[in-house]
Amino acid sequence: MQLRIQNLLPTYFEESKKSQSDIWGKDLVFSKGEFIKIVAPSGSGKTSLIHFLYGMRKTYQGNISYENQLLQSFNQEQLAKLRATQLSIVFQDLRLFPDQTVEENLLIKHHLQPFHHEIKIKEMTERLGISSKLQARSGQCSYGEQQRIAIIRALLQPFDFLLLDEPFSHLDNDNAVKAMELIIEESALRNACILFADLERFNPYPQTRLLHL
Amino acid sequence: MSASFKIVKQLILSGGNRSSRLFSFAGLGIGVLLLFCCVQMYFNLKQLTRKNAIRKNGFDYIALRKSVTNETMGKTALNMFAPGEIADLQKQPFVKAVAPLIANNFRLQLSAGSLFDFQTDFFIEAIDNDFIDTLPDSFHWHEGDATVPMIISSDFIELYNTAFAPGYGLPQLSDATISTVVFTIICYDRNQMPVEFKGNIVAQSDRLNSFLVPKTFLDWANEKFGGALATNVSRLYIKTKDANNPEFLKFIDSKHYRINKDKTLFGRAKQIMQGVITGLGIFGLMVVVLALMLFSFYLQLMIAKSKDNLQLLLTLGYSPGWLSKKMSGQFIPAYILIVLIALALTQLFQFLFHKYVMYDRPELSSMLHISVFILAVLLTVLTIIANYRMVKKLLYRFGTNE
Repeated sequence: MQLRIQNLLPTYFEESKKSQSDIWGKDLVFSKGEFIKIVAPSGSGKTSLIHFLYGMRKTYQGNISYENQLLQSFNQEQLAKLRATQLSIVFQDLRLFPDQTVEENLLIKHHLQPFHHEIKIKEMTERLGISSKLQARSGQCSYGEQQRIAIIRALLQPFDFLLLDEPFSHLDNDNAVKAMELIIEESALRNACILFADLERFNPYPQTRLLHL
Repeated sequence: MSASFKIVKQLILSGGNRSSRLFSFAGLGIGVLLLFCCVQMYFNLKQLTRKNAIRKNGFDYIALRKSVTNETMGKTALNMFAPGEIADLQKQPFVKAVAPLIANNFRLQLSAGSLFDFQTDFFIEAIDNDFIDTLPDSFHWHEGDATVPMIISSDFIELYNTAFAPGYGLPQLSDATISTVVFTIICYDRNQMPVEFKGNIVAQSDRLNSFLVPKTFLDWANEKFGGALATNVSRLYIKTKDANNPEFLKFIDSKHYRINKDKTLFGRAKQIMQGVITGLGIFGLMVVVLALMLFSFYLQLMIAKSKDNLQLLLTLGYSPGWLSKKMSGQFIPAYILIVLIALALTQLFQFLFHKYVMYDRPELSSMLHISVFILAVLLTVLTIIANYRMVKKLLYRFGTNE
């Protein structure tokens, strides 16, 4: 599977942005197995780009296509299928169900399209140090814990592309490294492509391509 | 999609208020019960009124005449049925056949001389044999026959026996005797020359209030003594499937025709009853619609309260179609239960109605009419489809506004 972006630019950005960016206004192809790093300062459109790629917003010009099918042409059922089986995400704003327990938050994703046995969920939470929080309401967890829940949730489904939007912003270095290792493992297991958008370079990430937004 | 709804259910079905759900279910139940009862009552009424009039071969025979008013009094032609009017009657869907009662157009006298000295100016009439309820094989006449068979109204015999004979000291007549009485029918031609025929009563009729002779005789006599076939028709008989048919009564009223009110009394009552039942049915339908609207508002409120959760589920990759099916499917057992309870109660009412109110009416069934069951299935299916469509529409709207 391939992800292609052509001449992409948010409608609220000026055309001049194209000349300063490796992504805006360019024709790019991302393939499975690639580890892409997108580096950009705040306000340069990282979250916009991730949302465009996930099909959540359409306020852009240019094209995004998955396997030669334009994302704009996907109907809601096709989009749901894409998200359930080929495209996963860690949102910058996490987007958990605050009134559900950590376990329920994870199971909601797990039941959608199970990739692992349920026992693996427990292992992942142990690796990232949140297994003791499984029965706690996610809304009561710290930001760092919530971020780890969101990361594990993204890894519970099959995917060809994993979109990461500043996924370690609330984690200390040790926890960020642990989370990164888990993400790399899981992506390798699926031979998936990671598109990792962040403010700066993150050394433990074995990027195959670095792009400045 | 094979996802389990159990874990998702608590995210989206916790938004509704339990009491508002119960209220809308109760309203739906009452409306459905009322609707079922009305439909069943409609069929009860239909069954009860089906066998209410004197019938031959499953038909009612009704005499029809024009109202004689002060304006038409003395104007015989106005009180007769024109050929166009008869043709119009024949065209009506509820009229199976029409037959005119033809009267003599010459002077005629009747004498019962063999039994007692009695002679009077009289009349005779004739009608198609198909309209006669008691038609013996001997009721026919051919030119040259000296005896004319007659069928008279049983009411005449009754009046003679109970009122006329005792008052004048005349012998009362049994059914056996009456058939042995030989009458003399005296027909006068246009020159007042009499021609006599023998007449004997071969049958009595409960339906036809007249003094009937075979049509072949009257047609022949009218032409011979009156000079022409009789064309004036002041009385018609109508053959109809149901004299109490409201459409039939409406037509008769619109034309200002007169009929025997006794025969259609039940029809008038039926008209009113049908009106009341239809009114109740419409009311029941309105209650059902209102309850469904109430329930739809409840669903919309529940969805609005769970909007954030639903949107996040869609963002995570849950299919809006699957969610709609599962969400609206949650209420299917409740709909089916409501309809089943309403059906059971309607069946109970019908059983009690037949057993205690209409216990001597074998034509009525203690079981519900098949249409009530069909309506129950239709109502359930329509409710499920309507709610599924509404939920789906709302979820698709959420999906586009992530």
